[in-house]
Amino acid sequence: MPQIQLERVSKRFGQSVLAVDDLSLVFPSGHFVCLLGPSGCGKSTTLRMVAGLELPTSGEIRMDGRVLSSGSSGRFVPPEKRGMGLVFQSYALWPHMTVAQNISFGLEMRGWKPDQRRQRVRELQELLRIGGLEERYPLQLSGGQQQRVALARMLAVNPDVLLLDEPLSNLDARLRLEMRAELKRLHEQLGNTIIFVTHDQLEAMTIATEIAVMHEGRLQQFAPPLEVYRQPANLFVAEFVGSPSMNLFSLDEAADASLARSMLASLGLESDRHTRVKTIGLRPEAIRIMVGETYQQDVAWSSPATVETILPTGAEWIVRLQVCESVAFARMVEEPCFGSQASVAIAVDPADVHLFDLEGVRLASATPGAGARLAG
Amino acid sequence: MSTVAHAQPAPDLRTTLLRAWHRLGYLRYEPTAAVAGLLVVVLSYLVLAPIGAMVLDTVRVQFRDSATAGLRAGALTTYYLDRALLSGVSGTLLWGPLVQTLIVAVAVAAISLVLGSLLAWLVVRTDLPGRRWLAPALIIPYILPSWTFAVAWLSLFKNRRLAGLPGFAESLGFSPPDWLAYGALPIIICEALHSFPFAFLLFGSALRSLDGQLEESGQILGASRPVILRRIVLPLLLPALMSAVLLTFSRTVGSFGTPYILGSPVRYTLLPTSLYGNFKAGSPGVAAVLAVVMIVLGVSLVALDIYFLREHRRFVTLGGKGGTRRTIRLGAWRPVFAALATLAFVVATVVPLGTLALATLMKRPGVFSLDNLTAEFWLATTIPINPGQSGLLRNAAVLDAAWNSMRIAGSAALACGLIGMFVGYSVVRLPNSRISHFLRHVSFLPYLVPSIGFAAAYLSLFALQRGPIPALYGSMLLVVIVMGVKYLPYASRAGISAMMQLGNEPEEAAMICGAPWHKRLARIVIPIQKSALMLGILLPFISGMKELSLVVMLATPGTELLTTQVLRYTDYGYSQLSNAVVLVIVALIFALTFMVQRLTGSGLAAEVEG
Repeated sequence: MPQIQLERVSKRFGQSVLAVDDLSLVFPSGHFVCLLGPSGCGKSTTLRMVAGLELPTSGEIRMDGRVLSSGSSGRFVPPEKRGMGLVFQSYALWPHMTVAQNISFGLEMRGWKPDQRRQRVRELQELLRIGGLEERYPLQLSGGQQQRVALARMLAVNPDVLLLDEPLSNLDARLRLEMRAELKRLHEQLGNTIIFVTHDQLEAMTIATEIAVMHEGRLQQFAPPLEVYRQPANLFVAEFVGSPSMNLFSLDEAADASLARSMLASLGLESDRHTRVKTIGLRPEAIRIMVGETYQQDVAWSSPATVETILPTGAEWIVRLQVCESVAFARMVEEPCFGSQASVAIAVDPADVHLFDLEGVRLASATPGAGARLAG
Repeated sequence: MSTVAHAQPAPDLRTTLLRAWHRLGYLRYEPTAAVAGLLVVVLSYLVLAPIGAMVLDTVRVQFRDSATAGLRAGALTTYYLDRALLSGVSGTLLWGPLVQTLIVAVAVAAISLVLGSLLAWLVVRTDLPGRRWLAPALIIPYILPSWTFAVAWLSLFKNRRLAGLPGFAESLGFSPPDWLAYGALPIIICEALHSFPFAFLLFGSALRSLDGQLEESGQILGASRPVILRRIVLPLLLPALMSAVLLTFSRTVGSFGTPYILGSPVRYTLLPTSLYGNFKAGSPGVAAVLAVVMIVLGVSLVALDIYFLREHRRFVTLGGKGGTRRTIRLGAWRPVFAALATLAFVVATVVPLGTLALATLMKRPGVFSLDNLTAEFWLATTIPINPGQSGLLRNAAVLDAAWNSMRIAGSAALACGLIGMFVGYSVVRLPNSRISHFLRHVSFLPYLVPSIGFAAAYLSLFALQRGPIPALYGSMLLVVIVMGVKYLPYASRAGISAMMQLGNEPEEAAMICGAPWHKRLARIVIPIQKSALMLGILLPFISGMKELSLVVMLATPGTELLTTQVLRYTDYGYSQLSNAVVLVIVALIFALTFMVQRLTGSGLAAEVEG
């Protein structure tokens, strides 16, 4: 399976819009990489440039050693000659063709004989579990079936590289989960290089081998999902990945400052004068809520807090807390034994505290003291 | 992370050339840009050049005047502007017709609005009996050629001022005075009968899309019916009302047939007929000035409409799905309104068509006796009272005109539909590019120009040989081109919206599957857009079959169309033959409209019927 390499790729639309800004990135062979970011971050444009549907303004895109498109050598391989597969958000099934015709179109373009095509269509129907639909038209199918046909159409020609542009966003929650499992199964079975664009961080977390987080046309972090979650490279990633998102307390915000200072003090980072710390981050699940007798003395940092409101989701409880003058969200997996307006205490393990500097970049260990405690 | 910006080195010649080569390679696989470029050239020549040529004609000495004026043809002059705007005859040439045109247009717009919106309200919101069949029936007058009513009016009310057979009224013992037979009043009535369905359609669909919950919210908050009407309903319907008024006004300003048929006998001249008269009388310079005046008028009206629509877009988009709402009970007024609505249908459809049909079957119009019945106007080899003419169905001139109409409107519609689809394709495939904006706007431009002014512009450009392009006046090709370009706005709008709806993705999917450009067009784009394309051809074809204003100055003995044939017979006083030709046109239009309805699967009145 090939690897796709982007080198200093930029894409401008008109004079003002810089959709992709000097992006260098390697999609490793046989990996399932998610391009993750909010809408307008350039992830779809990146995918379309890999597919050959957009021309990069500058930079080079290579597949293994082969140059697909380059600003300097003037080479451009059109999409129909790249041999990739691309599944669109809208599926883009051809409404005037039956399921079988949709699936065999690519084979026809490659000059397959009719009986070979029929055989291959049957194989794909089996692979994607869409038997018996071959004579239907796309509009007669359910959303999930259309999704499978769109996948089958692209998989029919056995592409080494499969590109997926938010393919699951039009499905309902249950089907989406099922298709995620399906995609993961297909990837394990076929082993192609997959690039998957999504704005849904949960989707990226669950299926990718690596996540590339993008923002304003730039790459923010490229790492396996758990690393992205546990060690977000910067404030943007920290806030974008995770739901409810990470609680952030800035030393520059009047409301947050006292809380942030007390946390820093107990971590041995006396004040912002000695460190480059500007923002402190806490994942909701890192906040432990304690009432009365469950209060423990061995925690590194704790503070009194007031419960504002409790949002049960069924499997867990999201608690909105007033801590000093700040607001924080905590996540509990056990049913809370308190109601709203209750006075509680919160505690945080130092290992769960994320620190970010003035530019919003993650600080691994700010000072020796904190480093030791953070590592511990 | 690669967040560090880097400076681009200044491109040297080699890089520039390589980049150009890069672009060229892209074009080879993606010829859309080449197609769009070609369209830009063609549209510039066919839309912008004629209008430019005509504007120049207003300030340049015309060839035919060069000898008398002692000036070189093409030299700059203010003679035509002086003559049309300032001289002693400017009153007859421009100012009189302009004022009369405005009077007629205001009256027509007012009557259409009142009648159209009242009927729309009755059909959409009340328990009016028979509203199911009234909704489509009230559209029919709008489908008919606008001058059908004028021809029928003449059959009913013409007096001895005109030669030929008498009108129905005369035969029945009532001699209509001139003011009833010709001039302002009949022109206004005939134009209004043709255009009220437009207000009916616009207002009806606006009324239907108005979210019932908006009114109910007002009701819950304690507003009375009149307050709801004044504070909620009317402001929301204002854009539709404005559109109906402005577009009816601008259509009336540009209409030629009715003022020609009903105004000429008493020399009641409107702008289009004055333009036509000046052109026929051999003063194209003055005709050009009049055409420019009409174009300015037309452009400002439509621009005004677009401005109002844009102003109101903020809340127009709020309109919901309509939802369920209570039907207003008319109570004791029910039979009154039912009679009124039925009367509108009878007067606007049954009477004119019935008159035309009856007239072609009577030796003397208006004499109701069995021995007065005749089929000679349809079947005779020679008609006794129209020497030299044979019955319509064996009349060589009419059959030729029918054949001309078919192939001229047919080829114009075909070209128009295809170009419109390609304009749509280019606009959607090259979003936000300058080419796309240019195509979108220039293909819409002919809509702003009144038909007869557009024809005048074409004569300015194509009457003489210019460069390698020969003089096209008198050729069928010229009529085809004019028609194709004039209807392009409809076809390109249809093309753009069809392509927008489809989006690029189906084609991109084919690209990914390895299909080259020609296969993508043949296998994906055209099959999917088949019915939109058919519609983009059929609708201009229908318009072409009933077009008069656009072709009246271009038709020559070799390129006579059915519609111009009607005028010819009216001029000769062969009223039965002209009536019969109108009926043939109407029959063709009904058949074509029926095809369109089958194709779209919904009637033209679907918006009002719901």
